[in-house]
Amino acid sequence: MNQRAATSRWNTLPAREARLAWFLLFPTALIVFGLILFPAVFSVWISFHDVGLHNLNDVFHAPSVGWSNYTRVFQDFAFKYQGPNNLGAAVTSVVYSFSATILTVFIGLIAALLLNRPFKGRGLTRAIFLFPYVAPIVSVAFVWRWILDPRPSGVLNDLLMRSGAIEMPLGYLSTRGLALLLVIFFEAWRYFPFAMLMILARLQAIDNTLYEAADVDGANAWQKFVAITLPELRFVLGAIFLLRLMWTFNKFDDIFLLTGGGFGTKVLPVLTYEFSFRLFDFGRGAAAAMILLTILIVFMLIYVRVVMRNVDEQ
Amino acid sequence: MMETRRMNLIQHMARRFSLRQIVFFLLLAFFLTSILFPFYWMVSSSFKTQVEIGGRQPVYIPSALRLDAYRELFDPSHPSFQNFSVNILNSLKVSIPTALIAVVLSVLGAYAIARLKFKGKNVLLNGVLMVYLLPGVLLIIPLFSMLANIGDRLGFNVQDNLGVLIVTYLAQTLPVAMYMLTNYFRTIPDEIEQAALIDGCSRLGVIWRVTLPLAIPALVSVFIYTFMIAWNEFLYALVFLNSRDLFTMPIKVNTIFNDPSPRPHVVMAASTIMTIPVVVLFLALEKYLEEGLTAGGVKG
Repeated sequence: MNQRAATSRWNTLPAREARLAWFLLFPTALIVFGLILFPAVFSVWISFHDVGLHNLNDVFHAPSVGWSNYTRVFQDFAFKYQGPNNLGAAVTSVVYSFSATILTVFIGLIAALLLNRPFKGRGLTRAIFLFPYVAPIVSVAFVWRWILDPRPSGVLNDLLMRSGAIEMPLGYLSTRGLALLLVIFFEAWRYFPFAMLMILARLQAIDNTLYEAADVDGANAWQKFVAITLPELRFVLGAIFLLRLMWTFNKFDDIFLLTGGGFGTKVLPVLTYEFSFRLFDFGRGAAAAMILLTILIVFMLIYVRVVMRNVDEQ
Repeated sequence: MMETRRMNLIQHMARRFSLRQIVFFLLLAFFLTSILFPFYWMVSSSFKTQVEIGGRQPVYIPSALRLDAYRELFDPSHPSFQNFSVNILNSLKVSIPTALIAVVLSVLGAYAIARLKFKGKNVLLNGVLMVYLLPGVLLIIPLFSMLANIGDRLGFNVQDNLGVLIVTYLAQTLPVAMYMLTNYFRTIPDEIEQAALIDGCSRLGVIWRVTLPLAIPALVSVFIYTFMIAWNEFLYALVFLNSRDLFTMPIKVNTIFNDPSPRPHVVMAASTIMTIPVVVLFLALEKYLEEGLTAGGVKG
């Protein structure tokens, strides 16, 4: 009797459906949990232990070192803020990701507005606008490095020297300050298409009658932009800002390939890489990565609290 | 001479177009040049000679389409032969399996999330989206030591193992791929599937015969998306590959770039080979996607 009840519960339609669902999700869940969520937790553990190349094969018995990995990161000269000429990795990361994200969203907005109205060749232009985003990072980083070459044969040096703007060739990516600025510009150049696509999709969903009503009221283009377009875009702009901020904050390849993290562009991901795979001090690397994650989470919480709430209210 | 012509052009434009149109064209021209010039520079430099590359001034248009750089990449008789075809092959060996497996697994997962009711669905979805937050550099340390341990026990190498790369790329791309497909499946009306189920089709039969044919545009997008991630990926390949024979293209290009004797034209030639397939693939996808969006699913 009991057994029959159990089997019938086991065989009900919802139960069968749930079993099928888990069966279908199992491979994906296994890969994502095994290779992302477990490592993420494991890296917290590593950050409190002394893990190096010597004990990599026996990592689970690595000696615990308490907070010393963290204090060593905080005391590292590459990490600490030492005045406006030497920001240190933590402050550089914040400056870099915020300014790059703001610039990316701004340029993406301009590009989306450009492409929003129909004109001949719009499809092709839109496709071309996406090139920087889809091309391999290694290719575009090296092309830009070569355009910014410090020798007089570099394209930018040649153009600026011909136009008389500079007399001697500049080492753009090897000058403090300038290098950080250029890395920020590079981010905007490469990632504005992402912002553009999302803004464009939202722009095309705006109800046209709003603009028609504004026309009847005699609004000019700027007034329409401020009163209709921007409010309609507010939410998508906020979402793009958050996503791009997270991704830029975590970004390793761009800066590593452009400057190698030198000349005032050392951000936390590059520092993490250097601790782990140059010095092979995985514990300290993991500690640096955890600090990176903590800063990111703090910013996100502030952002969600302040910005997203304002969006809701309006 | 130049000046007067430019003035005339501006006057001419001012007469024909409104200020708004002029601003529009100037902005468009600015965007197009700043996007296209680097790509032009990459392709054109790949056809330059060592002399043109090393001169005091940049050569904007190569004197002829010289294949010096490509010869270094592919010609075994060249003194600094790079054997780049092996690297192309390695990139394909990683990207194609990654993309194929990602499509299959994300179809199954996305179907479950979009169509089936079960407990823990929201927890799962949110957990999967958390992946967005985690930096690649954070994951690579535990992954490296974890896989080294498992590898020791099961007898495979973490380093110089393309299979390990495929699995890590899958982990990175599956969440987004599943998300993309779930959204697409939700746009396909449930009624069609219900009808097939009533007609006696099994669930897997429904997925295979009804849902998948309707979702082809989304499947293509997922394939291209994962293919491009695997093709372009740099950090994991840099850490996991040591042997030159197993380098994927990005790592090889990085190696050539960091060679003590700089040969930018070779770097640009290799970059061109690496870039053209993704850009072409992407241009093809653009059309496909728009077609898929307009024709997607059944109306009514």
